[in-house]
Amino acid sequence: MWAAATASWLALLVAPGDVTSILLGDGADTPEIRAAIAREWGLDQPQIVQYLSYLARLLQGDLGRSYTLQQGVGDLLAGQLGPTVELMLAATATGIVLALLLAVATAGRGRWLRGAVSGVQLAWVSVPPFLVGILLLFVFSFTLGWFPVSGARDTSALVLPALTLGLPIAGSLGQVLREGLERAQEQPFAVTARARGLTESALVVRHTLRHASLPAVTLAGMLTGSLLGGAIITESLYGRPGLGQLTLTAVTSQDLPVMMAIVILAAALYVLISTVLDLLYRIIDPRLRSA
Amino acid sequence: MKILRAVLPLVLLAAACGTGAPQEAATGTVTGTSLTWAIETQPVTLNPHQWAQNKARLLVFNQFDALIARDKTGNFVPWLAKSWQVSPDHLTYTFELRDDVTFHDGTKFDAAAVKANLDQFGKADYNAVVKAIQLRNLERTEVLSPTSVRLTLKNPDALLLDFLASPYGGQVSPKSLQNAKDLKAGGPDLVGTGPFVLEAFVPGQEIRYRRNDAYAWPPATAAHQGPAHLSTLTYRILPTASVRVGALTSGQVQVVEGVPATEIPLIKADPELTFASELNTGTSFTYYFNVSRAPFDDKRVRQAFREAVDVDKVLASVYQGSASRAWSLVGSRSPFYDASLEKSYGGDTAKANALLDEAGWTARDAEGFRTKDGRRLTVRTVAAAPFVRDRRDVLAQAIQAQVKQSAGIDFQVKIVDAGTATKAVEDNEYELFENSRGDSDVGAALNLILPAKGAINRTRRDDPELDAWLVEASTTSDPARRKELYLKVQQRVVTEEAIVLPVYQPADQIAAHRSVGGLGFDPSSGTPGSAYDVRIGT
Repeated sequence: MWAAATASWLALLVAPGDVTSILLGDGADTPEIRAAIAREWGLDQPQIVQYLSYLARLLQGDLGRSYTLQQGVGDLLAGQLGPTVELMLAATATGIVLALLLAVATAGRGRWLRGAVSGVQLAWVSVPPFLVGILLLFVFSFTLGWFPVSGARDTSALVLPALTLGLPIAGSLGQVLREGLERAQEQPFAVTARARGLTESALVVRHTLRHASLPAVTLAGMLTGSLLGGAIITESLYGRPGLGQLTLTAVTSQDLPVMMAIVILAAALYVLISTVLDLLYRIIDPRLRSA
Repeated sequence: MKILRAVLPLVLLAAACGTGAPQEAATGTVTGTSLTWAIETQPVTLNPHQWAQNKARLLVFNQFDALIARDKTGNFVPWLAKSWQVSPDHLTYTFELRDDVTFHDGTKFDAAAVKANLDQFGKADYNAVVKAIQLRNLERTEVLSPTSVRLTLKNPDALLLDFLASPYGGQVSPKSLQNAKDLKAGGPDLVGTGPFVLEAFVPGQEIRYRRNDAYAWPPATAAHQGPAHLSTLTYRILPTASVRVGALTSGQVQVVEGVPATEIPLIKADPELTFASELNTGTSFTYYFNVSRAPFDDKRVRQAFREAVDVDKVLASVYQGSASRAWSLVGSRSPFYDASLEKSYGGDTAKANALLDEAGWTARDAEGFRTKDGRRLTVRTVAAAPFVRDRRDVLAQAIQAQVKQSAGIDFQVKIVDAGTATKAVEDNEYELFENSRGDSDVGAALNLILPAKGAINRTRRDDPELDAWLVEASTTSDPARRKELYLKVQQRVVTEEAIVLPVYQPADQIAAHRSVGGLGFDPSSGTPGSAYDVRIGT
């Protein structure tokens, strides 16, 4: 995480334009105003001093203050973290459930059905989330009126954003799961199980799904980690609070304290996800438990 | 019968507390109405002293009141100040204040509060821009009595009243200036005297207000007296235009602002919806030529660029006829607008080519662009993506195609991040600068853009005579003299020197369900007004 923080600090150092100019925006700009703003934010200090004092404050749990939003970064993140985590969990759950259903329903079935479902899944992966979101809104919110367009007030407002973010997961995950299932169904143990008179559905639930889910779990972990990017588009489209919008404004205005905090948070998220994955591997694959 | 039985107790109740809400009884407005309004832009701050977004102006005067307001003709009218007097030397302004005004936190609004607000701007690390620009002439503020306050200036300043009527002039409770947790961000703990009390700001989602039932001090421009009609008010932040319009047509919000040109015909055709549009005050959206480097150091090339663009045609294709063409950098709503500039230049391809030939850009390269001494006739505009709105990127692309075809000019449009854009300006690596400003007095904008030392002088032009006119125009308060000077300024920059290509006049739009009444535009800015006069039902 320290490495992530330092790397992004360096990246921002070489990014064009200095923070003072960006804070001024396209408004008035005189030497006095510049000096006042630089002093206010400690930007008149040498870079190394700024970096070290940032690290020192970070160790005390102080994430600093946002340049543009004029609030403590800790407060900002705390307010926006909940809705994003909620959205990411809902999207992951949606994606996994859809992927499972479709994979189990189509694995080893007729070419026609497989092809059709595979095509739909490919569309989910390749159509930009912005377009998916707009389409979902037009059908289910503006035309049918089933779900509200915006906010994080209740569960019904979560459905469309979760679908928007979850469909690409369902698409890629479903493909991997189905292929895994089909491969497992051709393994000798599957033949043995069938010979013992096990029905096809029991075979899937008890044996082949377990085999197929190993690569899928790895993929699901990676996809969940990358959801933060998709959240930017989804949150702004649906007018949802969350880290996505915060990230977007922070990046466009080079709001360094906010960006650093988000990078650190994202690094922590990856650590958390890989830990969860390791635990899941052990549950799914008994061979790892004895190791 | 069921309905009657349900309504009857309410009627009795209303009659019983009729003294508490005389306004509703008189106008027949239903109490307890709420409204949801979808807006495009999230406010960066809710502290009026830190306000910097014209798109967020519609929020400010829900929560805050200013000393004075501006009416549609540009005159100042009373608000929290009942009257004011200006000394003959224009150096002291004395305001007589209302004595019946209280802040939302229960403290009284008085002369000491006005002083606390102005003194706040003098503090370090609060608002460096206002301190250095708008209030540079303020010497001191004195409390003469609880209802009387005097401002003393170092130099006469024709823009002082405009400042006091702007969002910056929103009066904040001195107690909350002391105690607010995030002073510069604002929030429910930074309170004003306005018709609505801020309840919550959920970033990325919404801003919620409830009515201030004690409100009895609207500006002289308001359509009614007493508390606001709406009991609760929610602004929902929906940055995507088609989502805003969809939310309106499906009844999820009652009002939207920011209607793109492509959606206007749809809304106008819907009998359930109403549509209104208003030009903004300030400067037009204008291309400023950088005269400090080739090729725009040559006046003929500047003129040629203007002649090479058919602005009407470009606007028609990009905005489907909903944009109004600009002829001056001063917007047509300004009292200082020079109407004689209309149709005085532009759109003459033959003239553009003749001017470029004359300026020596006679050769052509393989791609058909004009060259001179082996260098291509290239002009670049570098715009920061966060400030690009109104499809100005598409507009630039349309102009790009036009000038290439009509005159062989290589117009490069670069939409970049804020850092890259500021760097291009610092390194003088641009030929065109695009900008519009929404100042209610256009003089404030011109003072930033045109003088040699202007804070956003991107033409990099140095014209002492022009600077002198601008100084005089912002110190004299005689409107006739100001107009005379600003006409000279416009003649100089538009006609004589051709350092600008005014393109279109920014406007704001409101679309609403037809049951919503009292919607309008802030006369001093042309942006959507506050929700004070807004009501549901007639």
